[in-house]
Amino acid sequence: MSEPLVVLVADDDDDILLLVTTRLRRDGFTVIQARDGDEALDVALERRPAIAVLDIGMPGLDGLDVVRAIRADDATKDMRVILLTAKAQESDVRRGFEAGADAYVKKPFSPADLSARVKELAGS
Amino acid sequence: MRFAGVSRLTINPESRLAAAFVAGGVVLIAVYFAFPAGGDAQSAIYDTLGVLSVLAILWAIRHYRPETPLPWILFALGNLSFVVGDIIFDVNPDISSPSVADGFYLAGYPLIAAGLILLFVHAGGHHRRAAVAEAGIATFAFALIQWTFVMHPALTGSGTYASRVVAATYPAGDVVLLAGFAGFLVSPAWRKPAFWLLLAAVASLLIGDEINGLANSYTAGSGVDATWMLSYVLFGAAALHPSMRELAEPRRAARLRVSTWRIVLLTAAMLSPAAVLLIQYTRGENLEIPAVVTAEVAISLLVMWRLTGIVRALERLRMRERQARAEAEAAREQLSQQNELLLEADRLKDEFVALISHDLRTPLTSIVGYTELALDDEMEPPLDEERRSYLEVVARGSERLLRLVDDLLFVARLQAGKGLQLELKELDLAAVAAQVVDEAQPRAATKSLTLRAVADGPVIVEADKGRLFQLLENLISNAIKFTPKDGTVEVRASVARDGGVLEVSDTGVGVTPREADRMFERFFRASSAVTNQVPGTGLGLYIARAIAEAHGGRISATSDVGQGTTFRIELPAHATPQQADGVLVA
Repeated sequence: MSEPLVVLVADDDDDILLLVTTRLRRDGFTVIQARDGDEALDVALERRPAIAVLDIGMPGLDGLDVVRAIRADDATKDMRVILLTAKAQESDVRRGFEAGADAYVKKPFSPADLSARVKELAGS
Repeated sequence: MRFAGVSRLTINPESRLAAAFVAGGVVLIAVYFAFPAGGDAQSAIYDTLGVLSVLAILWAIRHYRPETPLPWILFALGNLSFVVGDIIFDVNPDISSPSVADGFYLAGYPLIAAGLILLFVHAGGHHRRAAVAEAGIATFAFALIQWTFVMHPALTGSGTYASRVVAATYPAGDVVLLAGFAGFLVSPAWRKPAFWLLLAAVASLLIGDEINGLANSYTAGSGVDATWMLSYVLFGAAALHPSMRELAEPRRAARLRVSTWRIVLLTAAMLSPAAVLLIQYTRGENLEIPAVVTAEVAISLLVMWRLTGIVRALERLRMRERQARAEAEAAREQLSQQNELLLEADRLKDEFVALISHDLRTPLTSIVGYTELALDDEMEPPLDEERRSYLEVVARGSERLLRLVDDLLFVARLQAGKGLQLELKELDLAAVAAQVVDEAQPRAATKSLTLRAVADGPVIVEADKGRLFQLLENLISNAIKFTPKDGTVEVRASVARDGGVLEVSDTGVGVTPREADRMFERFFRASSAVTNQVPGTGLGLYIARAIAEAHGGRISATSDVGQGTTFRIELPAHATPQQADGVLVA
């Protein structure tokens, strides 16, 4: 791994944003933060990170909207996307995959596990 | 009823006196006819029976002390009056009519009728329109017949004016007597032996009078004497029966039934004016138009009165029924409203639980995540052992909290009717059991429990692996919680006909059979769990049942206090997912 991989992390909860960011930075990723869906989409389209970790429940565009927009744009359609949510229902999981997410992580999660998923997706 | 009364008369010890009196009386009547007609012996027997009757009544009044003795005193006086008439007649057989004897005879009728009417009133008969109307109808019909065929012929017959009036007064006495008789018959008085004996006494008297009246001549010692003597005997017997005390007591609960004989008698009474006219017409007699019209009008009015009563009673009944129906409808309405409120409350509660579960996840994410970060081995400077152990407690606590939130959310979803979506795959129950047991080993070890998975070979069924894990995890956690140190928890997987069986047995505290039945209810907690403060929400088994049933399987438990508990989960080879609600409404 020559260049550190760029990961977009979007969550409206500062504590969780910091939690994910800390873990990923410790594991050697470059992290760009976003605090709502619109910001996340702007960053995704401009910076084209390799991986995006998106919270579903955010003000403005929610995580699902952002995934759809990423998939709709040719430049970003192959980006790896992990959805984070406190909604732990099967229907939510299904909606997440339908929107185009690659993986799904339920809150609360183990930061180490999340980091492992990110690494796994980065390698594929 | 009448026959039952008579049969009781012969077997019941308290009826013995009355029965003996009747038996003795009948023997004397038989002896009477053995003697030459009109002789002194006959007169002696006749008068003796009369005197015995009066004495029996007087003795009964003293002995039984009825609350209202007046009717019986009147019966005694009435019969005494007859006896005096008899004696005068016996002493002077050739006495000219009218005589003093007639005076005594005629005095007897109103006395006895008054006694009957008093009993009728005391029994509450006058409050009954039906009783009064029916007695009136029968009396008017009888009066018409008496007047047409007995009284009027007597009045217009031969003899002095006085003797004709007296001859016509006898049938009039019978009318009065019949009024009392009919009233008493339909009164709500107790149908006791005394009631029937008294009725029979009056009936016997009336029959004798009618035979005699219609025959228009009397010879001493003729058959008709039997009816009069029998009347004496029956009066005495009625008084001697202990049930005479109850005759005047009102019988509140009694309802007058419209029995067949009653309808027949009333119909006959109503047809009597027409019958009288027809008989007179065929005989070629002068038609008694004024009497027939009077009787007809009176009977018609009484019938109308009676009918009005019936119709009003029906209307009252219908109104009460409508009222009762309206009340039932209102109650039903209220019940359904309450039911709706309950459903709404239940729905709000489930929504609340779902919301809380969701909102609990966010702070839990921080607690779990930051604890993990803090425990990270690569952190500099490294944690000292004491702080590490504290943070590990935080980690364990948050893990438990998370499980609880998950359970609550799961149940809230089931309750919201969303059901369980299963990801069905063929899997080996033995392997699943072994895996769950492996994961639970550390917890079992802290209590020195032997925890093992047992299977003879693979047990293949179609099921949702995640859910089965959850189910087994719940049961094993329970088993570990409720099994004392050094106990054993065993998970057995076996092949069953058309499916597989998982059994989780422990050597724990167990529950009573009553509790075993309720264990799978939502929020149910065994008394042992409550008293020993074993942590839990009462959701684990409810969830286990939901998962088993969602697969089309079933879960059951057998338990003995102090012996342990065995849970048995039967799963079909091919899951037949069913709508969760209905099955799961606990």
